[in-house]
Amino acid sequence: MVKRKMGLILAVVVFTAVLLGSSVISPAAEKKVYIVASDISWPPFEWKDEAGNYVGFDLDVMREIAKLQGYEIEIVDIAFDSIIPGVVAGKYDIAASGFTITAKREEVIDFSGPYYSSDQAVLIRKDSGLNIGTVFSEGHKLGAQTGTTGADWIKTNLVEKGVKVELKLYETYPLAVLDLINKNIDAVIQDEPASRASAAKEKKRIEITGIIVTGEEFGFLVKDGDPYGLLPKINEGMLKLRASGEWDKLIAKYFGG
Amino acid sequence: MVTLELTFLLLVVGLAVGILLALGQVYGGKGLVLLSSTYEQIFRSIPALVLLFLFFFGSSFVGLNISAFLSAVLALGFRSSAYQSQIFRGAIQSISQGQMIAARSLGMSKFQAIRHIILPQALRLSLPPWSNEYSSVVKDTSLAYAVGVIELVREGRYIIVRTFEPMIIYITIAVIYFILTYAGNRSLGYLEEKLKIPGFETKSRKE
Repeated sequence: MVKRKMGLILAVVVFTAVLLGSSVISPAAEKKVYIVASDISWPPFEWKDEAGNYVGFDLDVMREIAKLQGYEIEIVDIAFDSIIPGVVAGKYDIAASGFTITAKREEVIDFSGPYYSSDQAVLIRKDSGLNIGTVFSEGHKLGAQTGTTGADWIKTNLVEKGVKVELKLYETYPLAVLDLINKNIDAVIQDEPASRASAAKEKKRIEITGIIVTGEEFGFLVKDGDPYGLLPKINEGMLKLRASGEWDKLIAKYFGG
Repeated sequence: MVTLELTFLLLVVGLAVGILLALGQVYGGKGLVLLSSTYEQIFRSIPALVLLFLFFFGSSFVGLNISAFLSAVLALGFRSSAYQSQIFRGAIQSISQGQMIAARSLGMSKFQAIRHIILPQALRLSLPPWSNEYSSVVKDTSLAYAVGVIELVREGRYIIVRTFEPMIIYITIAVIYFILTYAGNRSLGYLEEKLKIPGFETKSRKE
């Protein structure tokens, strides 16, 4: 009886150790593999397909560059808000998640050269009777994803200028879109490609009423000071992709339709 | 799957540390009581999400590179241990001191008395509140996605992003959590029934 109990306890301990062990050793053991962080919920830049693969423009570019430049990457999914803190803390080596290059972000991390330029799109419900001219007036509720340039734009151009709109922040932009469809907010401000993707999916109910030309550029980012010398490799890789025509193929694949 | 793995590890960590804490609080000397009480207070006072961030990002600042999964196990496991320690402390204290005195007078050491007399009873008494703790731990695992652990809720979000069908997905997730909690509680209830000490209730009412 006692023996059997000891056996059970031993089994639990071993099982626990194995579960813990596998999680400790795998990421830290080899540094030849760079960890790429991305918030995998932002089509067409990154999402998970039916087969369970991480796909999207950012991720394909990262994979192609790694192949060309001779290093290996492992893509991990993490909430958008946590990516920059994770890069700063050294948890991830590269971030590829549709990051707009801003001076504020540049203070804590380093950006690659720009790889995509985008504006902000304003999504509204088709039956709302609003348009780009009326949606930003007093009393309206505007939604955006936390930590994005869309949220920033509402803050600096409306809230801080004294326009009495209500800014509602969401964990991910599909939740903001859902809240728009549910009539809890009046508009969602989000990068244009992502907005186009959701407007296409929900074309009966929502539409893009206008574009706010911000001319912002997306960049990949690494830890401040680029400790592994990754930025030159990434920038060079992007040039090679453009030269070989591979870049245009990816653009067509993800933004063509 | 990750949700199950995480739940299991949290309970094991919580159980092991929780019992030690409870023993420390009840039988420890001044230092040990202070130490275990402080630990318990700290981990019960900090929101789970904040603990997760502290463990995950904080570990790097002190030079440790622990994975998202491990920091979730540690942060949520330690938190659970603080709650569990109170379950065990209450159970231990509900066993009359006379038993300890009797055991000691029979020549048992304090450790023997705890091991053979107090804990077998206390752990049985802990089962009902412990199954309560199980229910909350199962659901706490959903917070781990914030540091990048791909658990049930995060998996659900992948599908939502692709299909724009949040209601169906969230209802499915709710049903899965319900099944996990219900099955766990039923098993613990069965265990409780199996391990019941006949007549214990009347005995414990008054010595």
